Amino acid sequence: MELFEQTASVLSEMLQKKECSAVELCQSVQGRIAAVEEKVGAYVTQCEDALEQAEAVDKARTAGEILHPLAGIPIGIKDNISTKGLRTTCASKMLEQYVPPFDATVMQPIRDAKMVITGKLNMDEFAMGSSTETSYMKKTHNPHCLECVPGGSSGGSAAAVAAGEAILTLGSDTGGSIRQPSSFCGTVGLKPTYGSVSRYGLVAFASSLDQIGPIGKSVKDVAMLYSLICGHDNMDATSAYRTYPDFAAALQGSNVTGLKIGLPKEYFGAGIEDTVQTAVMNAVHLLETNGAIVKEISLSSTEYAVNTYYIIASAEASSNLARFDGVKYGYRAANYDGLTDMYERTRSEGFGDEVKRRIMLGTFVLSSGFYDAYYKKAKLVQRQIAQEFAAAFQQCDVIITPTYPTPAFRLGSQIDDPLKMYSGDVCTVPVNIAGLPAISVPCGKTETGLPIGMQMIGAKFAEQTILRAADAYEQLCGGFSCMPQTL
Amino acid sequence: MKIDIAHIAKLSRLHLEPEQIAKFEKDMESIVAMVDHLPDVKDTLTVDPNNAMQLREDVAKEHKFKREEMLANAPEVQAGCLVVPKTVE
Amino acid sequence: MQEYEMVVGLEVHAELNTASKIYCNCRNAFGLEVNTQVCPVCMGMPGTLPTLNEKVVEYAIKMGHAMNCTINSVCKQDRKNYFYPDLPKAYQISQAEVPLCEHGYLDIMVDGEEKRIGVTRIHIEEDAGKLLHDAAFTGSLVDLNRCGVPLIEIVSEPDIRSSAEAKAYLETIKSILQYLNISDCKMQEGSIRCDVNVSVRKKGSTEFGTRCEMKNVNSFSAAVRGIEYEAKRQIAVLESGGKIVQETRRWDDVKGMSYTMRSKEDAQDYRYFPEPDLLTIVVPEEKIAALKASIPELPNAKIRRYVKEFGLSQVDATLIAEDLERSGMFDACNAIGTCKPKSISNWILSDIAKFTNDTGKKISETPLTPQRLTDLVGQVEKGVISNSAAKKVFQIVLKTGKEPLVIIEEEGMAQNSDADFLEQLAKEVLEKNEKSVTDYKNGKTNALGYLVGQCMKASKGKANPGIVKEIVTRMLTE
Repeated sequence: MELFEQTASVLSEMLQKKECSAVELCQSVQGRIAAVEEKVGAYVTQCEDALEQAEAVDKARTAGEILHPLAGIPIGIKDNISTKGLRTTCASKMLEQYVPPFDATVMQPIRDAKMVITGKLNMDEFAMGSSTETSYMKKTHNPHCLECVPGGSSGGSAAAVAAGEAILTLGSDTGGSIRQPSSFCGTVGLKPTYGSVSRYGLVAFASSLDQIGPIGKSVKDVAMLYSLICGHDNMDATSAYRTYPDFAAALQGSNVTGLKIGLPKEYFGAGIEDTVQTAVMNAVHLLETNGAIVKEISLSSTEYAVNTYYIIASAEASSNLARFDGVKYGYRAANYDGLTDMYERTRSEGFGDEVKRRIMLGTFVLSSGFYDAYYKKAKLVQRQIAQEFAAAFQQCDVIITPTYPTPAFRLGSQIDDPLKMYSGDVCTVPVNIAGLPAISVPCGKTETGLPIGMQMIGAKFAEQTILRAADAYEQLCGGFSCMPQTL
Repeated sequence: MKIDIAHIAKLSRLHLEPEQIAKFEKDMESIVAMVDHLPDVKDTLTVDPNNAMQLREDVAKEHKFKREEMLANAPEVQAGCLVVPKTVE
Repeated sequence: MQEYEMVVGLEVHAELNTASKIYCNCRNAFGLEVNTQVCPVCMGMPGTLPTLNEKVVEYAIKMGHAMNCTINSVCKQDRKNYFYPDLPKAYQISQAEVPLCEHGYLDIMVDGEEKRIGVTRIHIEEDAGKLLHDAAFTGSLVDLNRCGVPLIEIVSEPDIRSSAEAKAYLETIKSILQYLNISDCKMQEGSIRCDVNVSVRKKGSTEFGTRCEMKNVNSFSAAVRGIEYEAKRQIAVLESGGKIVQETRRWDDVKGMSYTMRSKEDAQDYRYFPEPDLLTIVVPEEKIAALKASIPELPNAKIRRYVKEFGLSQVDATLIAEDLERSGMFDACNAIGTCKPKSISNWILSDIAKFTNDTGKKISETPLTPQRLTDLVGQVEKGVISNSAAKKVFQIVLKTGKEPLVIIEEEGMAQNSDADFLEQLAKEVLEKNEKSVTDYKNGKTNALGYLVGQCMKASKGKANPGIVKEIVTRMLTE
């Protein structure tokens, strides 16, 4: 087995036992990038100094320094997370040349732990999309089927892990952007509770819904990285005041005996492909035969979740993206006549169509005369959805649903149909609307070998519960194999 | 619903070419028709006192960032300032 | 013109003098080199987030208490969206739905008359940067140092009926801000600015006319000029049969004219919505109460008290009340209570004012204490020393810090008021000046002055001239 094929937890032990060096690991991953990146297209920017970072880790280890378990593990960062001195494009023409003068808060523990930063990963432009096709920079292909999308918006992050181009990655999730690409690429992806990971330095799409989270090959890998990045941050007023356990250590002895699983009927109805439905139900049965208690529940406001999401997310986005005006940073149109024309041309040339659609939708729902009918109403429905989840968690520990109604779809098949693209988010957006944690784990494959994802949702700050449940499931499956056989 | 796409584009500071207007208008109208489907919730929005934030202590930090760093990404800089087309003053 | 009255409402923006900015820890300082007081947060760099300065909330609550407002212990902030180069995020974080303070009032005094002006609300928000225009450049230059400087916006009810009331209202606000030490109130630095809403109506009418908002009013005197100009303009329009168009106008103080900025039709749609990067502001009731308790008696209340209780003129009362040092001295002397308030007021506004003006020193930086001042003034009131002697004592106190009573003693300045002694003295002088006595009795009244002068001379200047005059007059008429 090549080093790039291993999980972070295995590699961590190998590094600590000096069975391999950080440099060897880095070279393995870089060799893999050299071999497959042309086909996959996960990276927007590669770090030129990755090998130097790895050398520093080995040097520190040789010097007898006590290192973090993730020291030397190669990590790729979604390109909407600010990295000091390293271009952060959000996969937009608008920020093609933008180099942040500061690090996102999450980068500090990653650097302190001496993880090796491999580069910045492709995504849908400003995280708006479900296929990474709205990226201005490049197309990313699903490592399991190169004609298919990797999902989105964190498509580069999931594809990089599945292709062995990084051992761990960071994504961001506003309406499913970590979980859906994880489902499409066969990886494990965690969308944490809103407020548990600092958003400072994450280029905002929808401030009240965005969260950074980890993607990896196993539940333990994701737990390790999540433990590293969670925590309160003074720079983010929405970050929660609390302490967190060591989530990886807490996986010890995980099992599902007595675990109460809720299956919301609204997530298993029309629109969910049979193959997906079957795979998820098979996984649920496996958990049930191993001691979990399964009951059907109802989350009746689910039908409004997508609409609520698109109103709130677009409203916030229209305001968050107004700062891209060609004045302080980023793209400015070459030709214009006066200030207003400069603004309009800069923004029209700098943003892609999907971003423009969302900005205009957001502007519309906030505009005079429409605010009450759209934005305000959506905020009320949001509260109703959150209350329904809270009530559901009185009767169960974990809610299981498909992550996405279908496996990965073909490149180009949905890009011209925004409505179809939006409606696919039905299983993931309620989680963001309610601010809950959820993890997507692989639960089988289609006949053609495309991964299928199962979503496990927890109550607020119940990451430990869903991680343990997901880890137990992984053990019952005999481990996940997220990497394609051929690439 | 009929959407005044020109007005919305203007508010959003987006310049739409004439040939794009029809498509964006059609897209927007179908999206708005979709999101329009929401129940009437008999409730009012109030400020949630249980969602309080901690405030920052009033302490200033000196020169955290150099001016060159802050202006390094700017499209046009003169005399330590950002430059924009002349505003009517 | 006579049958019209103006209806004015004011929106006052005051910069708060906190150490750091409202949403980041950059220095809140004026006049530094362009774009040196900026960080990723106040420059609106992608991914940055605001954190609210607790002092801003405290200062705004203090002002709310000072203006008799209800304090909303639970409130939030909203985004006001618009594009302009001085606004890096393209939205201003402000408060729309629920302000920190609302439903207050301010009592002002105009020509000795009290008037109550309603205060609709006070909310917190961030200031924008500055645009610099210079013929040397083809474009406009943007300096973002001022971005994120904390502001409170104080919105009045349309209760103001004259430019004099507007001026009094603005000056009262300014003196309160200074009293509370929450704003530097430097007009030339733009730390207080106001927008003016003006309409006119026929006197006796209860309906409001169509109003115009005037921006760019950068001083109180400009507000007075702008209001008067605007009211005249509107009356002229109505008198010539026209209609007032609701619009935003821009005041040009140099030309003394306002002109249309934008009409109601192209009014901006700010698309306010709750700021998702900040959670609820919750201020504990105990803290609100403690802030209320920390507020001193405010200048407008002092003016009222000085006029009503002590009989000072409004002008004198204002001159004392609006200066913390003067009013501190005045109140402390009156608390000692041994002198007439009017005498203290005269000393504060003449000798003390002259000294502080000449030297640039504060009263508190001199040895002059309320006890020393009352001791000194008390000696004058009792006739122990003359006014001119008192002025000398005052100078010595300032120079040496000695007690006035000791100085009077050492310098032998005390006037002789001993009746028996003065009777004897007068008797001797009158005996020596029989001719003058005769002159006086023959109707030459100016002989009295001569005789009193002779008494003073005989006493080597220490006799109390008032008492001597009394005694001599009595003796002459006996």
